[in-house]
Amino acid sequence: MEKKRKNRLGMRRKGFILAFLAPTLAAFAIFYLYPILTVILTSFCKWDYTNIKTPQFWGWNELWNNYEYIFKTYPYFWEALRNSSAWALLGAVVQIPIATLVALAFSRKIRGIKLIRNIYIIPNMISTAAMGMIFLQLYSPLYGIVNPVIRLFNKGFDENILLLKGPAFWAMTGAYIFFTGTTTLLILGNIMAVPEDVKEAAVLDGADGLKQDWYITLPMIKGTLKTVSVLAATSGFLLYNEVYFLTKGAAGTYSISYVIRELAITSPRTQFGRANTVAVVQILAGMVIILLVNGLYSISWKKKGEGR
Amino acid sequence: MREGEGKTRAAGKKRSVSLSGGTRILTYVCLAWAALVALVPLVWLLLSSFKKDPLARPGFQLPESICLDGYVSTFRDLHVMRYFGNSMVISLLSVIISIVMISMSAYVVARMEFKGKGLVSLLLYSTMFIPATALTYPVYNLVNRLNIYDTRAALILIYSCSGIAVSFFVIKNYYMNIPKEMEEAARIDGCGYVQTWGKVIFPIARPGIMTAAVLAFLNNWNEYYWASLVMVTREKMTVPALLSTFTTAFRTNYNGLFSAMVVIILPPVVLYCVFSRFFVEALSGGAVKG
Repeated sequence: MEKKRKNRLGMRRKGFILAFLAPTLAAFAIFYLYPILTVILTSFCKWDYTNIKTPQFWGWNELWNNYEYIFKTYPYFWEALRNSSAWALLGAVVQIPIATLVALAFSRKIRGIKLIRNIYIIPNMISTAAMGMIFLQLYSPLYGIVNPVIRLFNKGFDENILLLKGPAFWAMTGAYIFFTGTTTLLILGNIMAVPEDVKEAAVLDGADGLKQDWYITLPMIKGTLKTVSVLAATSGFLLYNEVYFLTKGAAGTYSISYVIRELAITSPRTQFGRANTVAVVQILAGMVIILLVNGLYSISWKKKGEGR
Repeated sequence: MREGEGKTRAAGKKRSVSLSGGTRILTYVCLAWAALVALVPLVWLLLSSFKKDPLARPGFQLPESICLDGYVSTFRDLHVMRYFGNSMVISLLSVIISIVMISMSAYVVARMEFKGKGLVSLLLYSTMFIPATALTYPVYNLVNRLNIYDTRAALILIYSCSGIAVSFFVIKNYYMNIPKEMEEAARIDGCGYVQTWGKVIFPIARPGIMTAAVLAFLNNWNEYYWASLVMVTREKMTVPALLSTFTTAFRTNYNGLFSAMVVIILPPVVLYCVFSRFFVEALSGGAVKG
């Protein structure tokens, strides 16, 4: 009798857990699990505009057919990989230091600082599509504000920098890289959470301002710095909207995401299997980024710890 | 630009903590930079939208007279309110679906012991690092097979299922801080599991859930990649997807283009200005006071 009741309670508990988990797990299965399995499996299939309905396994002898095509024949892959990797690197080495410096400045007790802080976040509230569109206008040779600045150094410059190989890459980078509002807020949140007595102890030891930041604050928030570095590098690697709005891949500005979408959707001869091959590369690269950032942080902080 | 400098100078008048020379200079350089970066593009955009012919007075030159034609036509000819309506319906419905769903499962993970709990957390956490663009074709294919291509339902499905990780962890962390006694009291009063959650825990966790909801709403409102992938009929588009039609729609009508862009970025900016305290606290994990 007692056992039976316990059993029923256990059943009810189990039922509750399952019912409450089910919707989220279903969403995970629909949007993540099923697509990822499809991507991995069909990256080994012949699957393009000629056999839309039925992907065909290349067979063990030609297992790497799609990969070979992407690495050896497809003209934009290496350009895209180089660009995306560069944007990932720039995310970690440009965005994070800027975000940290601005967050440190925001952490000082100065009048009016809330106003600047709130202004700084505004661009991050706007969609990246709209920011891309705004920068497309800023770079316009007809009415933009970038060409007049260039003309100060190079009279008679009247070209569109988005169409020049080389400058186009940096123009695109400049269109997003300085907007670190949300990252800054995350870092600022952690700086503010450093206990007051730790700061006071540092002041007593004669460390204030920059010294205190470098020896006390930064080491205490290194966990957050690592996380935001991963996020910045990953989102740099995934860049799509900026490429679409500013150059559509012209002048050597393809990104990996842009390649995937072109192969899978926009090209007149769509190549689903090969698009998914690039997607596999993208997923793997994302993991490499996480490992690299983690590795770099554990090395550099260890060194710093020994130096002190 | 000038505004930004003014603000920095105003900020310098009174300092409650004295900083040493180097630190002070660096701080002000950073602040000036922050104001400049954020304001230059936006002020330029606003300025240009008032110019009858931006070609005649490029850059930061002030307009000769304020021309509002572009703004009038943004509402009259572009029917911008329709797209705001689309974005609103799609973003709101997706947020409701995903937040209810996630606040249920986050509760189970935060509060109950069961087999496979670690695995569930790991799976949901991993979604943060799965690049959405890598899933382009499978998701596109799925939408087609469900026969919802080019419908609002497609976007609602995608937005409800994506971005699980952030909401999950925000809400889970909030649950973890609620004292266990609250539940025990409810259980002793005879509440079942569902009732305990619905009547006791959910209301207490409302601030955390609201935070997650606001962040998710903003993400959905601004989302471009999927919106441009599964929508083709102009009338059904969300605001960001509409943007990609601008270069052809406006051609050489630059005044119209600039005005439409100002109108389009206005709702999130206004929302942010009104609720900036809330946003700042949400994004910084509650440690920064707005």
